[in-house]
Amino acid sequence: MSIKQRATDVMIKALNRGPVAELTARIKDLEAEIQELRGQSLRLAELADIVEELLIPMAQRDQARIDAAVEAYTKSL
Amino acid sequence: MSDAASPVEFVEIDDSGLLLRGERDVVLDVTFGGRRIWSFWLQRDSTPGPHGGRQIAWPDSLLKYLDGHARVAIVEHLSGAVIYDADTQFGDATTAIEIVNSQGNPLGIDKSGRMAQTFDTRSAEHVAPLLDSIEEVLQALAGAGVEAFPAYGTLLGAVREGHLIGHDSDADLGYVSRHSHPVDVMRESFRLQRRLTEAGYQITRYSGIAFKVTVTEGDGSLRGLDVFGGFITEGHLYLMGEVGVPFSESWIFPLGTTTLEGRTLPAPALPEKLLEAMYGPGWTVPDPAFHFETPRTTLRRLNGWFRGTRVFRDSWDRYYSTRRKVLPEGAPSPLSAYVAESDPLVRAGSPRIVDLGCGRAGDALWFARQGARVTGFDFVPSASTAAQTAARDEGVDLTVEPLNLNEWRSVLGVGAQLAAVDGPCVVIADHVADALTAGARASLWRVASMALRQGGMLYVSAWLGGGDKRKMQRAVRLGQLAKELEAAGFTVVESERIDAIDDPGRRIGRIVAKWGEN
Repeated sequence: MSIKQRATDVMIKALNRGPVAELTARIKDLEAEIQELRGQSLRLAELADIVEELLIPMAQRDQARIDAAVEAYTKSL
Repeated sequence: MSDAASPVEFVEIDDSGLLLRGERDVVLDVTFGGRRIWSFWLQRDSTPGPHGGRQIAWPDSLLKYLDGHARVAIVEHLSGAVIYDADTQFGDATTAIEIVNSQGNPLGIDKSGRMAQTFDTRSAEHVAPLLDSIEEVLQALAGAGVEAFPAYGTLLGAVREGHLIGHDSDADLGYVSRHSHPVDVMRESFRLQRRLTEAGYQITRYSGIAFKVTVTEGDGSLRGLDVFGGFITEGHLYLMGEVGVPFSESWIFPLGTTTLEGRTLPAPALPEKLLEAMYGPGWTVPDPAFHFETPRTTLRRLNGWFRGTRVFRDSWDRYYSTRRKVLPEGAPSPLSAYVAESDPLVRAGSPRIVDLGCGRAGDALWFARQGARVTGFDFVPSASTAAQTAARDEGVDLTVEPLNLNEWRSVLGVGAQLAAVDGPCVVIADHVADALTAGARASLWRVASMALRQGGMLYVSAWLGGGDKRKMQRAVRLGQLAKELEAAGFTVVESERIDAIDDPGRRIGRIVAKWGEN
């Protein structure tokens, strides 16, 4: 093995073990956590949408409107 | 020959592809019988070949046509320099190659790599219905509250040439929301969908801010127009599905106009700014082989905020595409047979049955034929077209409705619908839990629990491994399913491992559960 190759191997080993490897792993974790948080936007929008659409007829205590709202909601998806 | 005049040298053409030589990256058109069929970049789309050449494989969508003879030419797109032009034989057939669809209409490869009726093969009379549809949907979107305009290739064609782009095959629309938070932008998109549905359009949602509007044209044919939502936040425009760049609102609003095939349509205030955001500074130079290279950060943002409601949908559509009109055989499945034999409601007669993930609805139809009132739900309701037709013809009580377990609006909406029906019911989920992501499985248990609030049992079967792996199935652990059900508020009444009858090595798990405590 050439000196250059050995030096490269030593460097790769050091990178895989040392603070660079640790920081690389932390970046990966942080990216995953950011995506988890971004995913909440869709869920929140969906929940707000269905609550608003079904809450109004419920607040009006009108059974016919509640039934109609429940049926219309799934028809519009 | 100077390098500038012809940077590309022809080496070989055969059944598998082309071998060309050239240092520069240029766009090349391949014509068959004088008609452009495909375009590619010499360097980007090739691999190193023999004799210092670049090897370019025929695209899959073209291969099936390559049997016979044709006049083939390879032409540099921008300079028009001809690199190759000769009668060429492919395969053994002695007939002339015709790249047309089953109606004989000419086809070309569009921007997505698919064979399509591209605009360069269509006359003004053919594109008029498309332009009518564009105007109609723009108007409907305006009526629903957003200021939409032609987007992507349609905007590019209008601004650069005043015409639809020859190698394009569909039209895209877009709008920039006045909201600046992804949640508000999605809620607006949901409202738009409701308004358009009320107006009679069929909507297919792609993501939290993009959907397809299906328009019925004058001759009764259906046309889908994609509508891409966008918004500006922190000085950046994000437009589904490719754009994320620094941007000013004044480049969009107030909208101006552009002309497409002689019709005046709305456009961003400075359309060139949006075109640069979409296609880069080279947007003024035609590139029929253009590929989007969306930056990773933009893709991550758009994916994280808006995507995830169509997981596995394309695979399911493909899976059912050839089977939807064929009446399924093999009912009852082992799980349905078990339900028929042991469930007290079924044994008492005329039960209400909810079949979650009913697929082609073979079992749902089998129960309906025995007098049950059956509602099937599936990601792809058209998969059960044949069973639904049979039920109608026979006058048995079967309806099939859509349920998307990746979409909470669908899960809670269907759940509310089921909870509103009086009385207990039987819920079946036959090989559904083994075809879902963990998130969608949680939704499956939620719908089931909402259906069972007035009593009844849930019957689940899933593949645990062993034997042949079937399409779309992924092995699950029985203990894991039981744990998830208990966490969702169910009591597991029975949990069993069974050997599949048709494949003894295949292990199937069966769970019977009821909602609530004992």
